[in-house]
Amino acid sequence: MIIKIDEYSDVPIYMQIRNQIVMGISSGELKGGEQLPTVRALALEIGINTMTVSKTYQLLKQEGYIMTDRKNGARVRENIAQSGVISDSNRTELKRIVSEARLSGVSKEELKELIDGFYSE
Amino acid sequence: MIWMVKLMLVIFIVSSAILLFAMGFPKNPEKKKMIFGVRDNPKFHEGEAAAKVKAISSSCRRSALIITVIVCVMSLILLFLPETDITVHGLTMLVFGMFLIAVPFGKGNTELKNLKKELGITRSGVVYSDLTNTNVIHSLKLPWIILPNAVTLAATVAAVLIDFGVFNIVPAVEKYALTMMSLSFLFVALLFLPIAVMMDNTRNMVISKDSNINANYNRAKKKTWADMMISMSWANALFLVGYLILITFVNNDAVMVAGIIVYIVMIMTVVMIGVLNQKAVEKRYERDTDLELQDDDDNWILGMFYYNPNDTRLNVEKRFGYGGTVNIAHPAGKVIMIITALLLIVSIGFIIWGAVTGNLDAASVNWPS
Repeated sequence: MIIKIDEYSDVPIYMQIRNQIVMGISSGELKGGEQLPTVRALALEIGINTMTVSKTYQLLKQEGYIMTDRKNGARVRENIAQSGVISDSNRTELKRIVSEARLSGVSKEELKELIDGFYSE
Repeated sequence: MIWMVKLMLVIFIVSSAILLFAMGFPKNPEKKKMIFGVRDNPKFHEGEAAAKVKAISSSCRRSALIITVIVCVMSLILLFLPETDITVHGLTMLVFGMFLIAVPFGKGNTELKNLKKELGITRSGVVYSDLTNTNVIHSLKLPWIILPNAVTLAATVAAVLIDFGVFNIVPAVEKYALTMMSLSFLFVALLFLPIAVMMDNTRNMVISKDSNINANYNRAKKKTWADMMISMSWANALFLVGYLILITFVNNDAVMVAGIIVYIVMIMTVVMIGVLNQKAVEKRYERDTDLELQDDDDNWILGMFYYNPNDTRLNVEKRFGYGGTVNIAHPAGKVIMIITALLLIVSIGFIIWGAVTGNLDAASVNWPS
């Protein structure tokens, strides 16, 4: 799976990595049980501090997307807990996106089509 | 016998100068991924910009060609001049002189960076990483590079034992000459090992959205580096062993110098094969055009020295020449660069001092005459 980091983005690097790993798991690019690179290897590959990658992995672990142990490193969880609800922060983010789309003149149908496309990816 | 030493230097200088020119100043740089260490950009191929790029590359190529021709002609003139120490020192200075070819390269780099600013090409800080391939793409098999260097170590030990009279089989060799010679080869062998490991651990490039293509490309590229380092290590080891055998059983100056010429030809051949293989790999794997370009040109001083304090990596792939270089902003990179610069200054200073005062002959081991 390819991840893209933008050094000049407003989104912190640890969050960019986190978001793309989550998207990778959702789309099936990263499968359950799949090994993720070690903190050191990924930091060296991207050229960032190991603490940044460590922070990403801790966050992903907290959110239940990956599991880590000393022996096997980081792996994608086989069974990710499904709460069935959208978190408050995601709800706020979605509201912002819908508002901006409405202001840009994007129709409801177009937006729904887009969401359908992303959902079935 | 000095003519053989001179011939050896001329072979080295001419082939290296031509190789440097061919690598840094291709005929159609606009078709390459890098132009004078500046990453190619689609805007470079549009209208007026294309003409400017062409003008910059032609002008720098012309300057580089003039330097290459001067170096080659001067070395050939020195080869046919009377066999004096001055001509040998002149040739030795030309070894350093051929690196003047870096001047037009640096000029081209600066002019292209200015053109980028004119064209409003803003810096992009995009970095791609392939999670599937991180830290798993390697081509260097350590035993293959340890073995020749172990042979060099064994030959060095043998040379020291011969020199210190433990094996009393070489009566006519200058005291400690064998030790000095073998230690210098061992030093080179000890350099090959970390350089090979560093090159094998350079960051994997992402050229495609397909992880398999990325894996194949990086593996192929690292294999050419690994093969070159292993071959150079073997050339180093075989020369030292051969030298010891020759000095033990033949001990003839002509044979010795011929051996050194063979060694240089071997090294140059290995480098040329490595460069050709690298070019073949680059030609075989095209970069996906929909992948955004990672623009770190500003971190490349004159397109040759990498300085990026925000990059934690020590080793990166070179933009001029072949192989890898260090990030000067990295603490270890600073140390490596200072030592390299000092070695270079001391070597040039030593040759100039020797040529001016004539003390080089007194300091050197028996010069074949």
